Amino acid sequence: MTRDEYQQSLADLRADVLSMGELVQGRLDRALTALSTVDEAEARAVAGADDAVDRQYLDLESRCIQLFARQQPVASDLRFVASSFKILTDLERVGDLAVNLAQYTLAADRKRFEEVDLSAIGALAREMLDDAMVAYRTDDPDLCRSIADRDDELDTLCQRASERVVRDLIEREVDEGDSWAVEELLDDVSRLLLIVRDLERVGDHAVNIAARTLYMVESDPELV
Amino acid sequence: MSDSQQTQSQSQIETRTTGSDQPLETTSGETVEEARDEWIEYDFQGEAKMVAEDLDVYYGDDHALKGVSMEIPEESVTALIGPSGCGKSTYLRCLNRMNDRINAAHVDGSVRLDGAEIYQDGINLVELRKRVGMVFQSPNPFPKSIRDNISYGPRKHGDIETGLLARMLGRDDSEAERELVERSLKQAALWNEVHDRLEDNALGLSGGQQQRLCIARCLSVDPEVILMDEPASALDPIATAKIEDLIHDLAEEYTVVIVTHNMQQAARISDQTAVFLTGGKLVEYGDTDQIFENPRSQRVEDYISGKFG
Repeated sequence: MTRDEYQQSLADLRADVLSMGELVQGRLDRALTALSTVDEAEARAVAGADDAVDRQYLDLESRCIQLFARQQPVASDLRFVASSFKILTDLERVGDLAVNLAQYTLAADRKRFEEVDLSAIGALAREMLDDAMVAYRTDDPDLCRSIADRDDELDTLCQRASERVVRDLIEREVDEGDSWAVEELLDDVSRLLLIVRDLERVGDHAVNIAARTLYMVESDPELV
Repeated sequence: MSDSQQTQSQSQIETRTTGSDQPLETTSGETVEEARDEWIEYDFQGEAKMVAEDLDVYYGDDHALKGVSMEIPEESVTALIGPSGCGKSTYLRCLNRMNDRINAAHVDGSVRLDGAEIYQDGINLVELRKRVGMVFQSPNPFPKSIRDNISYGPRKHGDIETGLLARMLGRDDSEAERELVERSLKQAALWNEVHDRLEDNALGLSGGQQQRLCIARCLSVDPEVILMDEPASALDPIATAKIEDLIHDLAEEYTVVIVTHNMQQAARISDQTAVFLTGGKLVEYGDTDQIFENPRSQRVEDYISGKFG
């Protein structure tokens, strides 16, 4: 590979990581919309099609390994490939979480805990992920730091939602004689708590992407 | 690297230059060079074994090394890298006054070894080169036996005496010589391969073995600093790996300074790296980790990443 081809392969890697980002962002978007509109067909579509993300992930991962092995990148090239390598994993995980979200839409009885506002949590997590990919595309260290700041807000929202579910459960009057109803309720509670945690994790992955981007741009491991 | 990264690094250079004594108007050419003096200030752990200060070297009218100041930490590996003609080998040769052997060479400035100036008049050059040994690019064993290659130096220095006269005078150091040959060859990781053929001509050894023999020869006079000028560039990957392992081990006891064109080699084996760029100037000096992960000079970044011109 000539030096020009090497430079081109770095540019291609960045473009393809961004394209994987768009794919994952799109899936998260569709999963969140399906959740808020209770669109089962859309949820089913998202839940059943994670292969494209996984394929892209494995392809990009192997390209990073090839670059390490054959080009031994150093300095900003090294930070770029190493960061991209890590960011891929975060994107792949967000793809999995979008599937979880879609499966939740299919399984949950959303009328039961209507007061828990998952869409607000989802919107914030989605915004953090979008900004993380913008920061990666534009080498923006300030945006990286602002994503990390917003994670506290997301954590608070998630914690409040979980507390609300638990409090609601305590206050709810349940006919303990109806074991099937009790089981349904408990299933729904645990599904909801897990999905709140999943949305919080989307935010954590966005922070990871921001942390690796900050390292890539400024060699600053502050957020890592 | 993207255009925006380029622009950002350039602007960092601009920011740095504004604080210097001499205001700089652009970021190109010489002006950037002015900015880099702060990147050669290097606070390392431990003591300096050698210190060069304001070192200039001229070959006739050619100003080959310009104002290089650089401290070399003891018992570690310092790599000197840079393109051909950047002055790195010239600098290396200043450290044991090998440039004195070139008639047209003229050296200004100071080099101290353990605090003592090596460029003062009347210094014993033989003694200096015993303390600061050198290994060259092409293996250059004497056309003698393996044993003689090792014992030649110590005999010349009078550290061991053998032969008829010594025996008559009761000063036969044959046992000491045997021990010295064994110790030196073991230190150079060559003993196991040659211990049963010490009388064979050294020129019959493979290139990698010859180079380790030259390192053993250098070690036989008990040096403190070992200078190496591209010691593995003529060797295959296996012989190179042996030399690299050896350099790593030597740094526990000796101060090693190595010139290499192989950037990955510098990254693999050195503790600190000094980057010389065209024009005979030291541009950046720091921990090897830092130089290869986050060089401060854009020109060093471009050089080590292979982005030329």
